[in-house]
Amino acid sequence: MRIIVCLKQVIDPLTPASALALDQAEKKIRVNLSAPPVINGFDEQGLEAALRLREANKDIEIVCLAAGGHFNTDVMKRSLAVGADQLILVQDPSLDTWDPYPIASALAAAIRQIGGADLVICGRQGSDWDNALTPFILADLLALPLLTLAKRVGISDGKRVEIERVLADGTMVMKADMPALVTVTSELGALRMPNVAARLAAARKRPRQIALTELTDFATAAHAPEVVDLAIPVNGRSCTFIEAADGPSLGSCLAETLLQAGVIRLGGERQP
Amino acid sequence: MTGILIVAEVDAGELRPEFWELATVAKALSAAGSGGISIAVIGANVAEPARQAAAIGVEALHMMEDDRLTDPWPEAYAAALIQLCSELAPRMVIVPCTILGTEMAARLAVHCRWQLVQDVTQIEATADGGLKGLRPVSGGAVVATVRAGAGPWVVVPRPRAFASAEAATTPQIVEPVRHAFEPPPLATACEAPKRVAIEGISVDRAKTVIAGGGGLGGPEPFALLREIADLVGGAVGASRVAVDSGWVQQALQVGLTGKTIAPDLYIAVGISGAIQHLVGCSSSQVIVAVNSDASAPIFGIANYGVVGDWKEVMPAFRDKLAERVV
Ligand SMILES: Cc1cc2nc3c(=O)[nH]c(=O)nc-3n(C[C@H](O)[C@H](O)[C@H](O)COP(=O)(O)OP(=O)(O)OC[C@H]3O[C@@H](n4cnc5c(N)ncnc54)[C@H](O)[C@@H]3O)c2cc1C
Ligand SMILES: Nc1ncnc2c1ncn2[C@@H]1O[C@H](COP(=O)(O)O)[C@@H](O)[C@H]1O
Repeated sequence: MRIIVCLKQVIDPLTPASALALDQAEKKIRVNLSAPPVINGFDEQGLEAALRLREANKDIEIVCLAAGGHFNTDVMKRSLAVGADQLILVQDPSLDTWDPYPIASALAAAIRQIGGADLVICGRQGSDWDNALTPFILADLLALPLLTLAKRVGISDGKRVEIERVLADGTMVMKADMPALVTVTSELGALRMPNVAARLAAARKRPRQIALTELTDFATAAHAPEVVDLAIPVNGRSCTFIEAADGPSLGSCLAETLLQAGVIRLGGERQP
Repeated sequence: MTGILIVAEVDAGELRPEFWELATVAKALSAAGSGGISIAVIGANVAEPARQAAAIGVEALHMMEDDRLTDPWPEAYAAALIQLCSELAPRMVIVPCTILGTEMAARLAVHCRWQLVQDVTQIEATADGGLKGLRPVSGGAVVATVRAGAGPWVVVPRPRAFASAEAATTPQIVEPVRHAFEPPPLATACEAPKRVAIEGISVDRAKTVIAGGGGLGGPEPFALLREIADLVGGAVGASRVAVDSGWVQQALQVGLTGKTIAPDLYIAVGISGAIQHLVGCSSSQVIVAVNSDASAPIFGIANYGVVGDWKEVMPAFRDKLAERVV
């Protein structure tokens, strides 16, 4: 059985805004520092879901697939170090884009070209553009049933996938016959750390590079709205720091300040 | 032909409050020539919330009720919306930014290859017949101006970015148009949700929210936040670290993949202030931060700050408030 995990390389989402550089000509967000990119957090969690499934079924092959304009191979190879069997990088300058349609089209073409998958796992959204759209397009292009926001993924009888979907106020069990596409959310848990032996073994493995032009049935299905401008939002607040001798005095001083400023109204109007 | 179709989401028998914000967006865009406003209400037993929604004054109220729509089953709900859209041919569909709504919007837009204009905090019609909007990207670190060409469009406004519309004082009664749900074969199946009751007031409705994060170190300190919330008639919230660690339920999460809230007062305790958290609370009127690290980014967005250990600061804060409540 083959599981394909879609990994997106993104700018570290914890990069402070002051280190972001906006490329207005290309409409791209870049970093000022030499800070390395990361694998999108939700996609790492998708890989963790695949690794857990393989613990229950040794016959599972895990293939990681990424599309992009340029890759930091060391960063992407972390997927091999934690136990993925293969890493495929589809590279083309046109794939460095906010538009999920060409990306999903490239992923779909690559998946078809390598012979398909029983299960495709994606993250719920990319932390770069927060689109949360690629999996929907991919499921549409590959005509796969789509189950989203999994905090748990299971396979029964080798042919049905079952997830626990996260809701705003609980969870819900959902199922589909495989092949299927599942997206995962952060409640699933973090990606495991690689052990030393695996890391050394991974260092010798090479990702398989595929150029977009090698994908025989690549065609972009449609386009998302265009990004015409980028800006860093300004925050007009300035912080008044409470000063006091020790922790408890800081606490009562804060309460006094908020009461005096009318920010806290005790015994005032209550929400229903 | 239908102009603007608003999807009024019904959750556990109640009209979701986002609906009133969508109505504001619809009214503004309809004035700009995108046509009259209709409402779509999908679910099981939705007649009463549908009637409430129609009070904004609409051209038509479309209702699709079916037992298969009892649970928030995304594929079924999207199929229902796709069917309604093929019958009504709207120029624009406005969908709430909820877990179910965003999925319906994505499935509709991808299925029909319509333009998805999502997460917008501002939106306007352009002279050349397109739409232009502002949306946060990269967790809220950057604001993008997006332009969509010719419609139809699927628009998902960000919560709390638009004022709530009022119901008309003398709403004219519109008879709902009932549509039978005739979906294609559905490839997924679902079981009834297991809902976890929310303790106290829900974060997105409270005027005061006191939220805890990774700095609290475990589930127990949330009891102290609860005591404070009860004293001020507010709600308890949390960062993703607290939710992912299993300390509190998901319903409390504030931020990009949690709730977007705008209370009068937001108190962040042991929360670093990552951009993905701030995007969910930055519209709060007053923000207070308690953090032991003076360089934590949360202070950059706070009106009042305390640099200190919550273990020392917050019990005294509670006691001072309790002293004043008599
Ligand atoms: C795509 C994406 C979506 C995300 N969505 C969300 C979201 O919806 N909501 C969200 O919250 N996050 C979200 N995140 C995660 C976000 O990036 C941060 O990781 C998260 O908000 C950090 O939570 P935290 O500040 O509570 O925890 P930490 O980063 O662990 O910070 C803890 C803070 O507590 C302080 N502290 C420690 N001890 C004490 C003490 N004794 N007293 C006082 N202060 C103390 C520390 O100084 C620190 O600032 C998302 C991330 C991504 C990439
Ligand atoms: N360039 C890419 N390469 C591989 N997977 C991707 C890529 N872009 C998006 N995905 C997958 O689709 C999910 C949603 O991404 P997005 O639609 O960009 O928010 C991600 O979490 C990934 O799993």
